[in-house]
Amino acid sequence: MPTDTKRVRGPEVSQSPSLVTSKPAAALPSSGPRADGRQRDQVDVRPVFVRCGLVSQAKGSAYIEAGNTKLMSCVYGPRETERKDETDMKCGRLTTDMRFAPFSCPERGSWIQGSQDRDFSLMLYESLQPAVCLHKYPRSQIEVSVMVLENGGSVLAHAVTCASLALADAGIEMYDLVLGCSVRQDGASYVVDPTYAEESGGSCGGSSEDAGGVTVAFLPSLNQISGLQSDGEMAGETLTAGVRTCIEGCYKLYPVIQQALLKAVRKAAPPPSES
Amino acid sequence: MATVQVSEAEKVYILHGIRDDLRVDGRGCEDYRHMEIETDVVSNTDGSAKVSLGHTAVLVGIKAEIGKPRPMVPNEGYLEFFVDCSANATPEFEGRGGEELGTELSNTLYKVFNNKQSLDLRALCISAGEHCWVLYVDVLLLQCDGNLYDAISIAIKAALFNTKIPRVHISSDEEGGKEIELSDDPYDCMRLQVESVPCIVTLCKVGHRHVVDATLQEKACSVASLIISVTHKGTVTCTRKVGGGSLDPESIFEMIEAGKRVGKALHAPLMKLLQQEESLGKKRQKVGFLG
Repeated sequence: MPTDTKRVRGPEVSQSPSLVTSKPAAALPSSGPRADGRQRDQVDVRPVFVRCGLVSQAKGSAYIEAGNTKLMSCVYGPRETERKDETDMKCGRLTTDMRFAPFSCPERGSWIQGSQDRDFSLMLYESLQPAVCLHKYPRSQIEVSVMVLENGGSVLAHAVTCASLALADAGIEMYDLVLGCSVRQDGASYVVDPTYAEESGGSCGGSSEDAGGVTVAFLPSLNQISGLQSDGEMAGETLTAGVRTCIEGCYKLYPVIQQALLKAVRKAAPPPSES
Repeated sequence: MATVQVSEAEKVYILHGIRDDLRVDGRGCEDYRHMEIETDVVSNTDGSAKVSLGHTAVLVGIKAEIGKPRPMVPNEGYLEFFVDCSANATPEFEGRGGEELGTELSNTLYKVFNNKQSLDLRALCISAGEHCWVLYVDVLLLQCDGNLYDAISIAIKAALFNTKIPRVHISSDEEGGKEIELSDDPYDCMRLQVESVPCIVTLCKVGHRHVVDATLQEKACSVASLIISVTHKGTVTCTRKVGGGSLDPESIFEMIEAGKRVGKALHAPLMKLLQQEESLGKKRQKVGFLG
């Protein structure tokens, strides 16, 4: 049946019904255990599930799942740079692209990369770049893409972890893995690895002085911070404590990521049989 | 960003100088360059300011328009930021060249203002859920000589201080219809409380130390910098690591402390200066762009 392309079938602007329905309890309880049973004020990260090498076409790929946060990352390259004018004779180029699937958040997003996505891409780039030995790949570019399938909070932190794992899986030379962790400060207490509800609830609910989020990208064996971003309002001491907590969270994540990488390497090159 | 070529020998010179707390232009590690601020420079805006910091020049214009509040926060107005990197500043910004930097800067500005303290957005509400003031903050980079973030944030604070929003009254008739009435008196204006608008401090890690307000040459010597936005009370509203390198956790903590100290010290003289300029009124000698 031929469709009428001239007629506008829906309203030009539409809104998610969740905005019209009675407001859900905006303020999450700021004390006691969290909704998913984890503890407040403790470095209690969600258990993560990680796998390498899902996408056969890509040089390296990784999938990470923490609670409801699900994202995957692919690495292509190193290959010749597309933009000839930006070819660097000494150093390789890293490009990052982070996107949210339109259905990943409670409100539908668009397929076109918004300014928020671009901001995430940039932060991902700045977090990963110090870890990659780009001088080993002159005149070439390495492409990292991250797709957020479901936004269950702390997306950037997990995207950093996932992308570095994909880079390692692709066999790109790196100084260290990059691990991400985020903390949400809510008044006097904080929650590590916040869920989507905790992330968005805190920003419009609590009226306290200290309310904000910190995300840290950390190189565990070099003890370096490659990415740091925070928003909201925090006293200096709170921020410092938040960064420390994030680093602790990264160390908790480290063995899991190492195991996943080891498993992928074993699978790719099985050790010679003993016979 | 405008780029400069710095040779290895120059780098060593700058690095050694910073190690001894003496920079190429004679400043200490936590000193700003000479700063000039002028408000009310563009008459078509509701508030404007021009800031020059060394050779960096930034012009900010604020326009207030009536819009619809965001459905999530029906009783608040909002701010929109747009940073334009004009080709005047450097030929690299021609065409779409400056777009990337522009989005980076404006996204950071959204984060800086993404809290309850920095600006009372409820004052921008006209009638809840229906009308509110939308402040379009347009930033124009006229000249780039390093430290854009700091210059932009100071210019925004000055422009917000200068912003005069016309007063409106809401009258409703018997049938419940509402009408917005603009005040006849052009001097009947609403001013914004800018006391706690944060200022951004960029700290560049050069060698083992960090410097405030780095020039392009100094920036070329540094691997990474940290931007911190600080309110007059010393509350940090946004931090972000920029640049290609990584930083030691301990140096990050030091930089946060230094940023807080420098940022807090920036606010009082700035407010004093703005009030002084305001009190001059019409007698003020306008300097303009050639000053």
